[in-house]
Amino acid sequence: MSTPARLALLEVIGRDGRVTRAVDVQRWPLTLGRSLEADVVLDDPFVAPLHATLQAADDGRLTLDVGNTDNGVQEGAQRHTRGSRVAVPVGGTTWQIGGLTVRLRTPDETLPGEQPLPVRARRAAWLPLAAAATLAVLALSNHWLSLDPGADTMDWIPLVAGLPLVLGLWAGLWATASKLFQHRFEFGAHLRLALPLVAAVEAVDWFGPPLAAALDLPWLWRLVTPLQVALLLALLYGHLALVLPQARRAVASFVGAAALAGAAVAITTTWQQVDRWSRAPYMSTLPTPWTLWRDPTPPETLAADLAPLAEQLARRVQKARDDEPPEAGDED
Amino acid sequence: MPLSLRAALACRAAAFATALGLAGAALAQPRPAPPPAAAASAAEPTAPTGAGQRIYERIRPQLLQVRTLLKTQDSQSSVGSGFLVDDAGHLITNYHVISQYALRPSQHRLVYATVDGRQGALQLLAFDVVHDLALLKPVDPAPLAGRGAVPIRPASEPLPRGARIYSMGNPLDVGFAVAEGSFNGPVERSYLPTLFFGGSLSSGMSGGPALDDNGRLVGVNVAARRDGEQVSFLVPADPVRLLISRGRGASPIVAPAWDEVARQLGEHETRLTAAFINQPWRNAGHPLYRIPVPQETWMRCWGRSSPAQSRGLQFERSDCEMDSRVFVAGPLLTGYITVRHEAYDGSRIGAWRFSERHSSSFGNEFVGRDDRLRTAAQCRERTIVPPAAPGTTAKAEPALPLRAVVCLRAYKKLPGLHDLMVLVATLDGRTAGVQGRLDAFGVGLASAERLTRHYLAGFGRSGSATEVPK
Repeated sequence: MSTPARLALLEVIGRDGRVTRAVDVQRWPLTLGRSLEADVVLDDPFVAPLHATLQAADDGRLTLDVGNTDNGVQEGAQRHTRGSRVAVPVGGTTWQIGGLTVRLRTPDETLPGEQPLPVRARRAAWLPLAAAATLAVLALSNHWLSLDPGADTMDWIPLVAGLPLVLGLWAGLWATASKLFQHRFEFGAHLRLALPLVAAVEAVDWFGPPLAAALDLPWLWRLVTPLQVALLLALLYGHLALVLPQARRAVASFVGAAALAGAAVAITTTWQQVDRWSRAPYMSTLPTPWTLWRDPTPPETLAADLAPLAEQLARRVQKARDDEPPEAGDED
Repeated sequence: MPLSLRAALACRAAAFATALGLAGAALAQPRPAPPPAAAASAAEPTAPTGAGQRIYERIRPQLLQVRTLLKTQDSQSSVGSGFLVDDAGHLITNYHVISQYALRPSQHRLVYATVDGRQGALQLLAFDVVHDLALLKPVDPAPLAGRGAVPIRPASEPLPRGARIYSMGNPLDVGFAVAEGSFNGPVERSYLPTLFFGGSLSSGMSGGPALDDNGRLVGVNVAARRDGEQVSFLVPADPVRLLISRGRGASPIVAPAWDEVARQLGEHETRLTAAFINQPWRNAGHPLYRIPVPQETWMRCWGRSSPAQSRGLQFERSDCEMDSRVFVAGPLLTGYITVRHEAYDGSRIGAWRFSERHSSSFGNEFVGRDDRLRTAAQCRERTIVPPAAPGTTAKAEPALPLRAVVCLRAYKKLPGLHDLMVLVATLDGRTAGVQGRLDAFGVGLASAERLTRHYLAGFGRSGSATEVPK
């Protein structure tokens, strides 16, 4: 018994872009609808009982006849209404029928090439290990620093158990998102992404302030937090790009816009409250005796700093007075 | 720095500064008080049976309540007491009773009420913000003219400690009352002359007179401590005399008086700074460092140290504060200096941990945000070496590196005045260090510079001279 020839393939596309159902077309015409009488039953409440019919003309060209439907058939930006007849493009096309995306593939289609699977480069295998080791060393030493000598073993539990747990949960959540959109539970990929960036955030926290203090560069000290935030944004972008690899540009735009908006809000509120770009009024990290690299100055220089400060404040006071409505002067 | 003691000190200072003006909020509190008529019943024409009754009878015509009302309605925003100082109807009260009028005259008006129920409008002639006094006169002098004046006890007759004195006023707007107590001399270690009255003063009695046995003015009710019993304060008579002579012929104040407040505060801070710098620093007794600790002539220093069993950073701290503060407006007390330090010993925790704790402590300092009365603080920071103390050579005392931060905060309505903060941390110790902080509230630029130099020069290595140049 021979199988009839396949004239075309009708596919129903799922929410994530994957084919959820494929129907071999072995004869024309082919009716589509919710009714059981239709050749292809489309079980969707927004589909009419006999929604559309696909027909082949004598010359083999295909047409779509839109049936007795209120919703019609959407093809790209065009909407085909009840009773209309439209030609099916060469190679097939995709329609929105009710709530379903339906694709027709015909033998004359041009088949795109095979897409490569997202294979992780093997050379990066050492990186997560090195990052994990760095992160562990930095976090443990940071915790050691915060504890007084003779601390109880229990004091180490939050870090020793908590850090792997939090990282695991973090990677697990992103992997779940990957599973949702990519059908792959990419736990390892998300963990490999997070480890070096979290280690970098920790390293900036460790080495940035002491370096700024040793060099007596308060501006560098103030850059530590923005740098950490930038690293965390990079982490966010990395995770999103893994989850939605086909929308990297949109993800980059979203993260960039969120970063800009966040920075604008943070800078504005800081400026309103403290008249400075940075919330910290001064560099609070002290250089250690062994990193006191810059030569000290005489105290007179600090006293001399007061006059320009007072001038700066006088301008601020003048601005506050100018902004004040007349007859104001509330004192209580 | 640890916050708990700082909070405790703030409470203590706030308790001291509890002025006795009665604001609307206090009035709103339910009070199981006797009806106001109870206080006035002392006016019944019966023969005086005690000194208090006798003095009250004598002072009654000159005793007043002073109210600050909102101009657009009759709601009172502040209530205090006052007393007549001459036959023309001039009267004295506290500055803080009328401060809302002085700073915003377009929205307030002042009225008096006598014991016998007469009322009338008042004008502000002059005030002494530093001593918290104000001189007023009635718009229509007729009702108050010829009522006599409260005589001022001559300075040549000092009152002995323990003498009975009688404070008059209208506590909590309940009714005129006499609060009997003892005179305890001047408050010790107070920069501004203040008298210690061993009696109860309540809100609303501000500006009322405190009188001796003969009904002569000893002082003016001004404040009370809420953390003690019967610890109250009076402004002595000398500034009252000066204000009367200075302000009697003055034109009424009708415009916001911020500039005059600033001028008086400027004179005060110049005197205070000179007096402060004129005093040599005390030695804190630290084995490694010379730490500037102010004399306790008009400051109080409170100390605290880490628990003996502590495995962590050991510390000793000292907080020196002035009790004398100048009330300007609701939340603004100024015109004082505080100095504090913390000496850290990290020998139990090692150099790395000490370094971390030293930095954390240095960062835990509040310097002030922008608010309605003051700008946000702006700071400059440097690593400095203070000059060697006199009598020491560079060899005997190698330079002590310090991280020092100066911050200024300007007063938006008091031109030329600032809050100064100087933060200092020693940098040479691997497991030992000192952090200090000087705050000067309401100082001009010149004083800020002098105080900064003076404070920084107070740091050094110990074993050298204990006093530094003035």
